[in-house]
Amino acid sequence: MSEKGQRLIWFWGKECPHCKQLRPTVEKLEAEMGIKLDHLEVWHNQENQKIMQEYGDVISDACGGELGVPAFYNERTGKAICGYKISLEKMRSWAEGK
Amino acid sequence: MAKMMWRCSVCGDIHYGNKPPEICPTCGAADAFVLTDFDEAMKIIGRRTGPLDSKEKVVASWKDFAERNGAILLTESDEEIDMLCSGVLENLRNKGFRYCPCRIPSGNQLKDQALICPCNFMKQKNWGELGECWCGLFRKKEGRS
Repeated sequence: MSEKGQRLIWFWGKECPHCKQLRPTVEKLEAEMGIKLDHLEVWHNQENQKIMQEYGDVISDACGGELGVPAFYNERTGKAICGYKISLEKMRSWAEGK
Repeated sequence: MAKMMWRCSVCGDIHYGNKPPEICPTCGAADAFVLTDFDEAMKIIGRRTGPLDSKEKVVASWKDFAERNGAILLTESDEEIDMLCSGVLENLRNKGFRYCPCRIPSGNQLKDQALICPCNFMKQKNWGELGECWCGLFRKKEGRS
């Protein structure tokens, strides 16, 4: 896990079908950029849920008003993206802080 | 206005809302509802309906909901239904409500009521933009706005 404040976090849920659907894109991004996102499962892990709630306002905005998964949070830029229709390009821009 | 509980004095129907229904939806009696309280209402309702705590019952309730609504469809993917139902039931066991498995409850029960599946997804941004609820369980019927 990266140092707090520098993390690229993927919040996902075990029973979320869209998280499952998006996983190959996440793995492609990791392979392409040579990085590893912090994969934080939030349905069963209360600690991870707390981390998500720390960034709740930004993530909720990105998710259409409520906290949802799949969601991505860049601690360096404070930017979140959310939903399963996220392209590899969009994910890359988010990771690069563009 | 705080919602209250109302009892039909003719057939015992229970209504929870801001005001009593003018016509009882069960027996058709007019102006028959009287204010009741939680204890009396729960004793009347009892446990006759049984809990919605199995995959078969929850999926049946989703199918019934979609069939009665002319604007929506339940996803055709059995795999998605199965996975989402597991998540909903997991939430029932762990958090006490059938919350959407793609949303995260805040811990504030009043606020989190909006996350109980099915939620009021037709008011959400996702429905307008993508024609489906956040988790993809319900989709807009083609040709419907």
